Amino acid sequence: MMVFNKDNLGELFGKVGVGNQTNLEIMGSNRDISVGEIFMITSERDGHERVFFFRVLGLQNYLRQVDDMSRVAGTLMVEGDAYLSGIERNMLLDVQGRMLGYAEYTGGKWVFRSPRRLPDHLASVYRPVAGTSDADVRMMLESQTSGEMYVGDLQVGETTLDVPVMIPSKFLPMHVGIFGSTGSGKSNLMMVLIKSLIDTNIAASTNPDGDILRISAFCIDPHDEFAKGVDKYGIHHIVEAMGPTLRSEVLGNFYYLTTHLRATPRDVKKYAKEIRIKWDEIQPRDLYSITEFTPQMNAFIDSMYAVEHENWIAKILELDEEPEGMSTPKGTMRAVQRRLRFLKRSPIFIEDGTSILDDIYEAMETGRILVVNTSLMSDTEQFLLTTVVTRTLSDMRRAVKSSGNLGDFEKQGYMRLPTPFFGRVKKMARSFYGRGGISDSAEVKDPRSLPVIQITVEEAPSILNPELMKGRSVFKDISRQGRKFNIGLVVVSQQVSVLDNVILSQMNTEINLRMGNEREIRACIDNASVNISGFENEFRVMSRGEALLTASYRELPLPVKIPLFDDIFERDRGKYRSKRSSKKSEKHIL
Amino acid sequence: MLEKILTDKFRKLLKTVLLDIKNQQDLRDEEEFAKDEARIKEKLLDTVESYSANIVLDEDFLIAAVDGSGTENFGMLDDIRIHLLSTATVILDTNTQKGPPFSIMSGAALGAELGEQPSLDMHWHSGVRHDAKNKMADSLTYIYPIKDPTEYVTQFFRDDLGPQIKSFSDLDSTDFARHKSKLEHMNSLISRAGYLTNPVVHDELRTVSEYAAIRNVLTSKFKPKFILIDGAMSVFVHHVLKYPSMPSGFMLREICALAREKEVILCAVSKNHTIPFAHRIAKMAEEIFGAEAKWFCLLPSKNHPNGGLHIYSDRTYLPPKLAVPYLFSFSRDNRPSRIDFDRIWWLKNIFVRGDPAATRANEKKLFRDLEFMSRDARWYGYPVALALAHVACKLSYEDLGLAREVYRDVLRATNHDPRRAAPLREDYNL
Repeated sequence: MMVFNKDNLGELFGKVGVGNQTNLEIMGSNRDISVGEIFMITSERDGHERVFFFRVLGLQNYLRQVDDMSRVAGTLMVEGDAYLSGIERNMLLDVQGRMLGYAEYTGGKWVFRSPRRLPDHLASVYRPVAGTSDADVRMMLESQTSGEMYVGDLQVGETTLDVPVMIPSKFLPMHVGIFGSTGSGKSNLMMVLIKSLIDTNIAASTNPDGDILRISAFCIDPHDEFAKGVDKYGIHHIVEAMGPTLRSEVLGNFYYLTTHLRATPRDVKKYAKEIRIKWDEIQPRDLYSITEFTPQMNAFIDSMYAVEHENWIAKILELDEEPEGMSTPKGTMRAVQRRLRFLKRSPIFIEDGTSILDDIYEAMETGRILVVNTSLMSDTEQFLLTTVVTRTLSDMRRAVKSSGNLGDFEKQGYMRLPTPFFGRVKKMARSFYGRGGISDSAEVKDPRSLPVIQITVEEAPSILNPELMKGRSVFKDISRQGRKFNIGLVVVSQQVSVLDNVILSQMNTEINLRMGNEREIRACIDNASVNISGFENEFRVMSRGEALLTASYRELPLPVKIPLFDDIFERDRGKYRSKRSSKKSEKHIL
Repeated sequence: MLEKILTDKFRKLLKTVLLDIKNQQDLRDEEEFAKDEARIKEKLLDTVESYSANIVLDEDFLIAAVDGSGTENFGMLDDIRIHLLSTATVILDTNTQKGPPFSIMSGAALGAELGEQPSLDMHWHSGVRHDAKNKMADSLTYIYPIKDPTEYVTQFFRDDLGPQIKSFSDLDSTDFARHKSKLEHMNSLISRAGYLTNPVVHDELRTVSEYAAIRNVLTSKFKPKFILIDGAMSVFVHHVLKYPSMPSGFMLREICALAREKEVILCAVSKNHTIPFAHRIAKMAEEIFGAEAKWFCLLPSKNHPNGGLHIYSDRTYLPPKLAVPYLFSFSRDNRPSRIDFDRIWWLKNIFVRGDPAATRANEKKLFRDLEFMSRDARWYGYPVALALAHVACKLSYEDLGLAREVYRDVLRATNHDPRRAAPLREDYNL
């Protein structure tokens, strides 16, 4: 039974020569092949029709019937009148590469498997052609490319196929790593991802009966480029392109958070709020997650917190001398005060006033996207903000997870979260978490049915390093247990080698962009969720916007070309006007 | 064995043999060569005036080449032996006008006219008395397109005795009249039956297969200027009967005549030959024309106006009956090769009686073409068509290994015991 047409695979390129289930050698026609191209090998063995996927890692010219190419070249050189009769036929390309796996049609659908078999002897090799092979490749690789969050298109060498590569939102709580050196296209990728989150949420809101889960994202924007874009367009253009109803459904009344509202461009200001976190919303753990304290300082802070609860920061900063009865060494109090003093200077961490945390919480529990301009924050402020938000959201969900009904939940909430904050949001929380009502006896929802919350951790090595992760870091828990609460981290880093192993081992999706040096390439390969050993050369020739997507739930490492945000926005902008979503087949767009 | 070979004693033995050869052979030959030296230098040896690399010929032409390969030892079935034969024909176009030069005719075009290329065939015979001969006669009849020997045996006598032999019945007026009945049947044309060893049987089958392939080219729609074949144009003549001892000898004359009729130049090229003093002739050419010169040298027969050469006067098959051999070298890197032409054709097209200069001019024209077709960088100095035919028909060790595996598979599939195919001594790992 043929379920695909070989003509649609692309052009016949060559035949399989020698190899094993990992590495193959192909004899092919003398074409302009580049490292990184993907070939398909059709094979029929014992009645099993399979299509193997093969990635080019090395090339060599080969002249058939010539054992000693140098001798022939020498003769051509020395005997000026020599020719090579009919040589075009004999000019072949010896292509070495990695077998990526194979697609097989069983039980009425295509499945993809790791390379644990060999294609048949002298099997035919096809080279995919954009415009011809797209549909078949899409079909065969469906299990490897499908999902809700669009990342880019399948890259074959220097071109791409119309095969969108997506990440399933159910795997987002198992954390995503985005690794790439400066100039590798991280910012554009983040904007593409934010756009696909918005698209997913539009699809979810226009198909309320569908099984699409909304995704929330707390996107740190360290250079303030997401809203207005790097080049022509930014997230703000999507916001503007939407009709008011859709906008309010998908984005609420704001999407932009900034430190200084007055410094925000007027058009963005309409959808902007100022970041203000109250001291009483900060817990000692938040600080332990972003900076190192001595054991004495920890002990001091813990004992102050035990007594003063959420007022601990104000109380510590008020102290003139070490409180009586504390057995901390002299100087500890002053040291802690010095450490906390930045909160006094910070415009965003305030002792009194209105906190933004409630709004953030609401946005995150209703499946919304927040772009957080941290360009005017210090690193410490940015990290503390990320940590407070992460911890607050995870503690809320933890409270849900450990409760049977809303009555339990409230008790748990007061236990885990700062009282003033919880007091303010508990009513809203009940409406989010209650199943059929908001009474104490109403059952709580499974957190996994709540929106997926994505929190970006920018400059991740500063807080996800082994030293901080050794202690009581908030991120240690999230990295291990995020999936229980449907909260995932998007770890953005220029380096992989310096990240803590706990977070690396819990990460199930990696978007590997161009890396700066051999050590980081090595680290990327070692850390990848599928075996990509042998891809060193690939990393070396990667250009801006090219990525290798690896995921533990997929067998195939996917080369992806990330489109320019401007291009996909221009392509899709018209679609944001219409209230209803487009066809299902285009769900990656809208 | 190795410990015997790697001894000084073995080396000494070799030295003795070489000395022996020198004493018995070289000394006498050296004297003979001295007698020929001046004639070779002045009359027989000449340079090839080659075409420039980017020549555009007024008329491009086709070159065909045929080569065969095979093994007499492909497979066994008890005492029955199976021969495997492969034959390949390639046709090239000089293609200087359209370029690139020497394009290869596609397999489809070739196959449509000449059948699949290369072609594989098999032959078998047992150890039963006369079986080898009878089977061989059957196979030869099957392989060669002309089934009635009387249609082709006459040509040998016509070429040998003269144009008065027009038909088979004209033999009545000759000494061969008494052998006529033997000449009518393939079986009795095999007159060397006593020596029908497996290699002899195999060689004859292969030669006839190649001749059949040449004949196919000659009768095809292709009109090549040259047809090249690997080997020499030797005909082994029975010393009593005075005619070819094997059917292939007659067939060769028949295809030569056909080639003449179709105005095709038929020639046989051999890399390995036994022309004495070839190295001395080469050295002489180098001295006269320089190390990089491309040259040829006629090896005249005793019928030549100036007679044959002393160096091969004792060598029975030099020059071969009804053939004209030359020695040539188109590449300084290789030893000189030999090329044979049909003598009847040569007399008509190359040789000009009483005019050595005109003869030489004809020869130079002929070798200019031959040299032009021998410049492929893979086999520089050797005709590329022949090299390609050789590559096409070659049965490598691996090919044969696989073919034998397939044979064992087929045996199993047809309920034969595969052990019947194994050489008996394999049981004892010998």
